[in-house]
Amino acid sequence: MVDRYRSKPLELPAPEHHFERADLAFYDVDHSGPSFEGRIYIGAGRGLKRDAGLDHPAYAGSLYVFGHGSCHGDPGHCDIPEERDPFDYRLPHHLEPAPRIVTVTAAIERLVEAGKAKASVDVFVHGPEGEPLKTLDFSRLRLLTYA
Amino acid sequence: MTVASPSPTRAPVHLRHRRSVRRLSEGQLADLRQAIVLAQGIKDDRGYQYWAGIHGLPLPVSCKHGSPFFLPWHRAYLYFFEKELQDRLPGVTQPWWDWTQNHAEGLPAAYSRARTAAGTKNPLASSPIQRAGRRDPKETRTWRQFNRASRLPASAEVEAVLENRDYFTFQNQLENIHNGVHGEVGGTMGDISVAAYDPIFWAHHCTIDRLWYLWQLDHPGAQLPRAYLDTALAPFPMTVRQTLDITALGYDYAAATAAVPGTRRG
Repeated sequence: MVDRYRSKPLELPAPEHHFERADLAFYDVDHSGPSFEGRIYIGAGRGLKRDAGLDHPAYAGSLYVFGHGSCHGDPGHCDIPEERDPFDYRLPHHLEPAPRIVTVTAAIERLVEAGKAKASVDVFVHGPEGEPLKTLDFSRLRLLTYA
Repeated sequence: MTVASPSPTRAPVHLRHRRSVRRLSEGQLADLRQAIVLAQGIKDDRGYQYWAGIHGLPLPVSCKHGSPFFLPWHRAYLYFFEKELQDRLPGVTQPWWDWTQNHAEGLPAAYSRARTAAGTKNPLASSPIQRAGRRDPKETRTWRQFNRASRLPASAEVEAVLENRDYFTFQNQLENIHNGVHGEVGGTMGDISVAAYDPIFWAHHCTIDRLWYLWQLDHPGAQLPRAYLDTALAPFPMTVRQTLDITALGYDYAAATAAVPGTRRG
């Protein structure tokens, strides 16, 4: 769990590759803790601070996680089963990590128009009062564009 | 666990065997009791009280009686409850109480004796009823009023019901017999709103489920009208269609099955 994430540079679409929409897909996002906002900046320099704000030129959008919060059940209620019987047709455990998608079309268009071929993604986690929270955890990040 | 080939076209899979109450070994009965005790100890939506409450109280009353979904709904109910028991004790299955046999014994000893052979309280004899699930504030535990074993259904009655070729006629007649057993056990079992709190409810319904299974074997192709097959059996994430093949749900009433391809190809 982190309160700040910086990705390796992601390859951006080539200028001749027309797209109508660009999405950042976060895979297997943990939502077991408190709710939070992950402010996403794309193509900002390494010196980016967590108070960069929503009017920063690299701000691309926010990942909002509606967290489960504390467990209200008995011990084990919020433990995700490690394996499931092949005949188990119950719905997935309520805390199974889930994909989350944030549309970042304008930010990607700006970077491509500026001639950038790659850009890193920064995410700063803000709690309800704007405080940093170490709640961000996911397995993979992809940039997807749609023509 | 039974290794079985439910169909010649499918690879053998491990199916869990639901046994007759009267054929449970001491170890199997001890496992069932332990799973029930563990489930009773959980107060959230994995626990016995929560699952018993789905049938009736607390509201909403979710069970289906006198409806086309009586058999599929209860099959889904048994299945999902059994999954919770298996989370507590892997491999455990619910037994079925064949009320057409052993009338002289009355209720099966596994459920009627107040204490186990080891002298502990028998969790199959009665169960607490959660506060929100009580039809009467003073009814804190399940109770029975069983005293007329002779009124339990006879084999011949059940055999006659199994001969029906039409699903709705079969279900209707089976539900009637089922209703009678609820009434004969009496007490908590005699009222839809609280019946599932009584541990014998599950063994009774396994028998109903088994009789549907036997009817399905006897009448291949006879089932609910297509219009009903994709109806969801709320609150379970399962449709009528998904309940039609118990081997696809991972259990069987046969102790062992084996299948090989026949003469037809493809």
